[in-house]
Amino acid sequence: MVLVIKVGGRALTSNMREIVKDLASLAEEERLILVHGGGDVVTDYSRRMGIEPKIMVSASGVRFRYTDEEELEVFVMVMAGKLNKEIVSALNALGAQAVGVSGVDGSLLLAERKRRVIIIDERGRKRVIPGGYTGKVVSVNKHLIRTLIGAGYVVVVAPIAMDQHGTMLNIDADQAASAIASALSADALIMLSDVEGVIVDGEVIKRIGSEEILSLARSVGKGMNRKLIMAGEALKSGVRRVVIASGLVKRPVTNALNGGGTVIGDA
Amino acid sequence: MRLECPVCGLPVEVPDDALPGEVIEHDCGTVLEVVHDGDGVKLKPLDDIREDWGE
Repeated sequence: MVLVIKVGGRALTSNMREIVKDLASLAEEERLILVHGGGDVVTDYSRRMGIEPKIMVSASGVRFRYTDEEELEVFVMVMAGKLNKEIVSALNALGAQAVGVSGVDGSLLLAERKRRVIIIDERGRKRVIPGGYTGKVVSVNKHLIRTLIGAGYVVVVAPIAMDQHGTMLNIDADQAASAIASALSADALIMLSDVEGVIVDGEVIKRIGSEEILSLARSVGKGMNRKLIMAGEALKSGVRRVVIASGLVKRPVTNALNGGGTVIGDA
Repeated sequence: MRLECPVCGLPVEVPDDALPGEVIEHDCGTVLEVVHDGDGVKLKPLDDIREDWGE
């Protein structure tokens, strides 16, 4: 099976050992691509460097990091450097053959830079501002990924893309994972975070049909709504199964494959 | 303040403290953007801006 796994930064930093142990074990049988987040670690390092992160809310209510030029520098250092290499070295220490890349390497992820974005400003009003260094993924170099996983490597991807001019861009890791899973027609996209799944009225929903995705995305919290949107896009593009599950448990990927969390799709 | 919709010509109420880039949805269905230029505050139709975000 080809499995694309996205791990959020909080799950990663608090449960790295279990996550990599599970991945190293699964890598003996499956072909794995891990896309990592790490926004909180970037925030920490930004502050250490005297740069206060700018977190904004989009017109549809999604919280996002506003990336200006100096924050982009920290983002690239932390994501493609520290975090990516920590994961790769941990996997390799457990016997997996892991290789770390960002979306820039081999033009893995090309994105269209966002010129302008609509935000809800501090007065609760909609306002258009310059887009900063973020973008939307428009193409995936699936040949590179297929070559690597075909040779037995676990591919660890940092969420950085580049535009057609070679400008590096901060991209949403959920979106990157969804785009990669779609390009590969992956057997499953597993999205691990610090919650047990999609929670409504205090209960984890075990299954969400594709026709329910958009209505639920409006009623769940900021953060989970974009995971649902990305899950829907992956399913439309031929990914067989999407699971949103906890990254904080033992063997979190195996747990997700065995029915843990929320399964999204009609299959 | 009251400005004119550049699409339908009808009046549009705009808050006095509106900032450049502020988005106003007019009754005629047009979504407008507040712009400040040398002649003061104006309105123009908002370009199509689709949503995306970074990590």
